[in-house]
Amino acid sequence: MSSATRARDRLIAAVLAVLTVAWMLAVEGQQGIGRDEAQYMRAGEHYWGWFAELADNVREGHTRRSFTPKAIDRYWSDNAPDHPVVMKILFGVSWRLFHGREAAAGRPLHPIPYTLEHGALPIFPRASTAFRLPAIAMAALLVVLVFWFARRFVDPVAAAVAAVLAIAQPHTFFHAQIACFDAPVTTMAIAVAFAYWKSLRSARWGVATGVIYGLALGTKHNAWLMPAFLVAHWLWMRRGDWLRLRPPPIPLAFVSMAVLGPILFFLHWPWLWVDPVARARAYFNRHLEHEHYNFEYLGRNWNNPPKEWDRKLLRVTFPFVETGLTLPVTTLVLAGVGAWAFASRRRARVGRPAGEVTAASDALFLAGDGAGPRLAEDTTGGGFRRYLKACARPGADVDASPGSFLVAQFLGPMAIVALPSTPIFGGVKHFMPAFPFLAVCAGVGARHVMRQLRDLVPQRWPRTLPLGTGLLLCAPAVAETQRSHPDGLAHYNLLAGGFAGGASLGMNRQFWGYSVRPMLGWMAAHAPARGNIYWHDVLPDALSMYVRDGVMPPLGNAGGGEDAIRRSDLGLIILERHMVLYEGVFWESYRTTRPAYVRTREGVPVVTVYRRAGVP
Amino acid sequence: MGSLPAESQAALPDAPARPRRLPRGLLLVGGVLTLAVVELANALWAPHAAPKDADWQAAAAVVRAGFRAGDLIVASPPWADPVLRLWLGDLMPEAMVGRMDDARYGRVWQIAQRGARAREARGDERDRQRFGALTVSRYERPAAEITYDFLERWPEAQVSREEGPPGQPPTRVVPCVRDALGFTCPGPPAHVVRPGIYEIGATLRRGLSAPPVANAAVVLTWANVPLGRELAFAGGLHHVWLRKWPQGIVQLRVLVDGQLVATQRSGNRTGFQLGRADTSRWAGQKRTVRFEITADVPDGRMFDFVAEARNP
Repeated sequence: MSSATRARDRLIAAVLAVLTVAWMLAVEGQQGIGRDEAQYMRAGEHYWGWFAELADNVREGHTRRSFTPKAIDRYWSDNAPDHPVVMKILFGVSWRLFHGREAAAGRPLHPIPYTLEHGALPIFPRASTAFRLPAIAMAALLVVLVFWFARRFVDPVAAAVAAVLAIAQPHTFFHAQIACFDAPVTTMAIAVAFAYWKSLRSARWGVATGVIYGLALGTKHNAWLMPAFLVAHWLWMRRGDWLRLRPPPIPLAFVSMAVLGPILFFLHWPWLWVDPVARARAYFNRHLEHEHYNFEYLGRNWNNPPKEWDRKLLRVTFPFVETGLTLPVTTLVLAGVGAWAFASRRRARVGRPAGEVTAASDALFLAGDGAGPRLAEDTTGGGFRRYLKACARPGADVDASPGSFLVAQFLGPMAIVALPSTPIFGGVKHFMPAFPFLAVCAGVGARHVMRQLRDLVPQRWPRTLPLGTGLLLCAPAVAETQRSHPDGLAHYNLLAGGFAGGASLGMNRQFWGYSVRPMLGWMAAHAPARGNIYWHDVLPDALSMYVRDGVMPPLGNAGGGEDAIRRSDLGLIILERHMVLYEGVFWESYRTTRPAYVRTREGVPVVTVYRRAGVP
Repeated sequence: MGSLPAESQAALPDAPARPRRLPRGLLLVGGVLTLAVVELANALWAPHAAPKDADWQAAAAVVRAGFRAGDLIVASPPWADPVLRLWLGDLMPEAMVGRMDDARYGRVWQIAQRGARAREARGDERDRQRFGALTVSRYERPAAEITYDFLERWPEAQVSREEGPPGQPPTRVVPCVRDALGFTCPGPPAHVVRPGIYEIGATLRRGLSAPPVANAAVVLTWANVPLGRELAFAGGLHHVWLRKWPQGIVQLRVLVDGQLVATQRSGNRTGFQLGRADTSRWAGQKRTVRFEITADVPDGRMFDFVAEARNP
């Protein structure tokens, strides 16, 4: 590839990243703060407090004070053992650097003592934006990685289509702009996969894969499963060797991941240092024994692994149906076309002599060198050095079958979530790491469509045609994503019928209590004099952040639970299937079935508010 | 990750001329591009197709103008119910919104959108008007005559706990004491029977909460009940959190003058179940009606039920 081509590709990647960040920064202010997100923001600020104290201790020559168990736990026990801390550290650092002047009423609401007026570089008026910036940056990185990975198979326009389609997904876009880990670990999934892909030809990338994997482990626990999907692909590609009972050399990337991954995981999380074995066990148990929270799927509430056969079968469909009803339909169809293109390429190669390719299928892809993966280099009798060399560059030929790699990375997360014993309370976010690979496939599909179109139209159009086609293929996904905002989790695609169709199908409408953001002004205007407001699933951390952001004055909080409704004079319900019982408490306590306000999205209710009659 | 290996040529050379496969290529291109245009158009248009406040205001005004006591108002699809109550909730008391079924309603107002139709919207359609994205319809049909509403008449019940193994005469009968809120049954174990609004199967229902107890039956008896041709009843397990772990099955037995006329079993998956007993042989007569509630494993089983005697 020429340097001009590389420079052009870098420019395209940079433009895609900037556009992603710009889009998200333009809209994230409308996005409410979810329950978990507020906790991660609080934890990020706590962790910053440790670094600030460490700096003070270093200055005073008492560095070790920051590493005592008490000092560590004072800051790092926040949100432990739930999640590792790479992103939360970044949230805290970003907040400290970039937050603007917070509302005066928010000053007492910091989790650590904090007296500064604003951050070192106060570019964001809202503290929540500063917290969210690292997640948004990770979304931009996702787009770049998808572009680069797709470039291995298709031209720049089709690769750019893949990149856009990777982020222009309503549910993914929702998760990508908030200070949580689900979108960042999706980015890490393709980062690890890409690094592994490159490690097949490069020992340097073999080592780098381990480092990147360590960062992935520090992002979210989904990462512990990533090696399984890579190993599955490698075993498939080396199946000839296994069938001949000749175990191939183990890729350096796997060794690196196995060694560097856990080491980096341990090093990055100070909370683990205090009692490594017990605390690591607590972390793993937290997720292996994670409670099944409530989630609505096809008109039923799922809060336990199903026992009956019919429910188990229905439950298995979950990730596939959710994918089919949440992703833009054009994206799904393009991915299908891409999958077909990969499959037909494979069919064209199988049975043909090495070197012979069919113009139709291989014209889509790299000029490969043969009919498929070869056997691994035979290292028997060749000495340890030869064996190591084979481990360091385990098989450049595996990229002769990119389709199987994408299938493994896509189906892996889906298969895990399809197990009836896996919790599904987070909906799409549980298997979002599959979607970048679907997007790459969609880019291949886009390429195929463009090729077919080029053959159909007069020759005088070819220069602008690919770009125009690419824009048209991206437009529905971008439009749907923008339409869904800021209620991405309630949005379902054209097949489902949008917000209304999703509600009619009994699909989950939301969780985390974020959907109150657009109605905070109404709440403030109708707040009772006694300040006894029942906020339902909007937790105090989120309310604190709204106050700090200046979007809401402190309004009071009656607490949680059914008794809090009875104590309240104004209360809301985040409309989720399993939350219905709280509305009955309102009816009995407030003696009315008539809400004071209903927030809707395209006619579908998302929040209901009751106000007790006759109270000031 | 900046450079591609030399042998990776993603910039494709011009493909050699080859025979056109017009039909398949045209189908593919035409199909995908058409889909893209349709999906894009839908994304831009669909938000404007949703009902507006003005639509609801106009629809509500029609219903309000024609409403009579005893009418039923429903939204279709059901998820629009909160918005319906926002506009017409003053006409929709708990008895309507938490109803057992719609048999007693001779007139039904439906505010529908997107072509949906409520289960209750049956009978002769006497009126239909459209307001933007909403359609208001009124249906009329013969209404069931309610001869006795057990929920409304809960203070007239005798409630007791009959201890002993099932199928055998009770070893002890513990009467429950009525107060303003319901019945309190002395323990151990102490338990209560209360009217209220309960979540059953993600729907809110008015009913009597009568949780089962171990090794006993909770019994509610009404004497001198004027029966109709059927005795309709419905029940289920209340409280989503309590349907998560406990697994016991609750059985409701319905007896008229000691004769078993119906049974119903409720578990975590059964939701709010409607049942009917044929009481034609006693129609027009006053009889004693008894409801017995038991469970194999009663822990965490919050059972609620409601019943009415009627002539459909």
